Amino acid sequence: MSLLIVILFPLQSFAQEEPATNDTTSNSYPSDSAQAWLVKMSNAVKSLNYTVSFILLKPGVDSQPYLWRHGVNEDGLEMEQLNLLNGPGREVVRIGNKVSYFEPNVPPYSLQSSIINGPLPSEFFQRPEKLLSGYEFIMVGRSRISGRAAQQIRIISRDKSRFGLNVWLDQETGLLLKMNLIGEDAQLLEQIQVTGLQVTKDPDPFFAKIEPGMLPEVVSFSPRSAINSPWMINYLPKGMAIVKRDLRRLSGSGEVVEYIMLSDGLIDISVYMQERVDNKPQSNLVGTVQTDTLLTIEHGELNVTIIGKLPAATANAIAKSIQRNQ
Amino acid sequence: MSQKFENLSALIDGEHNDNVSSSSHVLDAVKNDAELQQKWKSYHLIRDGLRKELPVDINFDIADKVAQALESEPVILAPKRTWRDLPLVGKVVPFAKQGGQMAIAASVAVAMIIGVQQLNQSDVNQPFNAAPPIPGIQGGLSPVSFDQTRAIPNSDGVEQRRRINAYLTDHKQQLRFKTMQLNNNETSELEQNIENEEAQSDIVENTPQ
Repeated sequence: MSLLIVILFPLQSFAQEEPATNDTTSNSYPSDSAQAWLVKMSNAVKSLNYTVSFILLKPGVDSQPYLWRHGVNEDGLEMEQLNLLNGPGREVVRIGNKVSYFEPNVPPYSLQSSIINGPLPSEFFQRPEKLLSGYEFIMVGRSRISGRAAQQIRIISRDKSRFGLNVWLDQETGLLLKMNLIGEDAQLLEQIQVTGLQVTKDPDPFFAKIEPGMLPEVVSFSPRSAINSPWMINYLPKGMAIVKRDLRRLSGSGEVVEYIMLSDGLIDISVYMQERVDNKPQSNLVGTVQTDTLLTIEHGELNVTIIGKLPAATANAIAKSIQRNQ
Repeated sequence: MSQKFENLSALIDGEHNDNVSSSSHVLDAVKNDAELQQKWKSYHLIRDGLRKELPVDINFDIADKVAQALESEPVILAPKRTWRDLPLVGKVVPFAKQGGQMAIAASVAVAMIIGVQQLNQSDVNQPFNAAPPIPGIQGGLSPVSFDQTRAIPNSDGVEQRRRINAYLTDHKQQLRFKTMQLNNNETSELEQNIENEEAQSDIVENTPQ
């Protein structure tokens, strides 16, 4: 029963976003609407037992092949595994609300979370409805991806302030087959290409071997104290909101900065603010690191640095909008 | 034992007056006997020393390299020919009757030319055969480096680069730890469901015991 709740939950919130439809099931959408497809995708990601092989491609970096498995056991408990197949190996396992990381050179640890924030846009899979306010969904057409019939959907930001997305969903199951992140000049910035997709009746035997008691301890972070910051951001792209704000000491440089995370449900942006000290000159820079845009500017009394998958112009607009709170 | 060394010594000194088959017999013996090969080397060296023909710097390894190169050469499936049938050697044969060591020296020279050519070829080919390995990264946690597309000249560039790398590292960390925040605020209902189930499944597991 609770599994049903898990499935229906996003549908409800989806429906609430759309005033025209009051029904709480996906049947309320025309079956070939983009919304219906996203509901189908979201349900499939959470409820099916599947094994997916995909390759993550980023400019200037070697391709990264991943194995992604998901299963739901008899108790309705979601289990998920993400494994980087090249190199010394990096494995992430999620059992319910516990995400455990196994990596070389780092002792294994767990986080309390219902998603693996890895190369896949997990938040988008789980809650596509969060994108409705900031993005427009356009049905493009059908094509063949990874040897399967696929439905293509374009996702573009309503205020043209963010990169566009092209996703191809499996016609049969609704699972992701391909995803392209498209830049302003229609150039390909990042790609996920599924190379193998298997949907099975039962969860993969791999999950039966996991003993939940043997997983590493959950890392507990000290609760964030609310900070009284004199700074505020006046411009945010449509659909974007502050999801986190704190003062932190950077582990790399030891400097204390004010940190803000912005998110629109698809991309996450880090904003760092540091009051300028005269003996630390800084030049204005903008560049790209793999897919991320990095912008660092002097703005009034602040050095502002913004990192994330967004156009440089948008990053600049956000940085320039920061003002001292009156 | 000493007989074969004597034969070898005689052959190298050009005093092996017997017929061709006999000298080739000695050569065959050399081919199949590591000890004789070692002697072959040292006899030649001694001879060169006695004649004051030693090169300025002696490279003892070249013979081994030639041997290796010859070994890696494909086998030629052709009518069996002796070294005397080789055109260059054939011309030398008349001289060989006067001094066998010249013919042998010539054949070694031919072998060396072949060997050196092969070595050279493989050197030339190497850059094309083996692509330079891509340094770095198999995976998501890559060491970050910043591709600067526009910069105002700055005396303190190193310092800033270090700071930018610190930002990039922190950004990656934040993305990973972000999940927790999302969870606490928004999925509490989901969480409870799953926690209840976990509790139930614990009970089920415990009851049989």
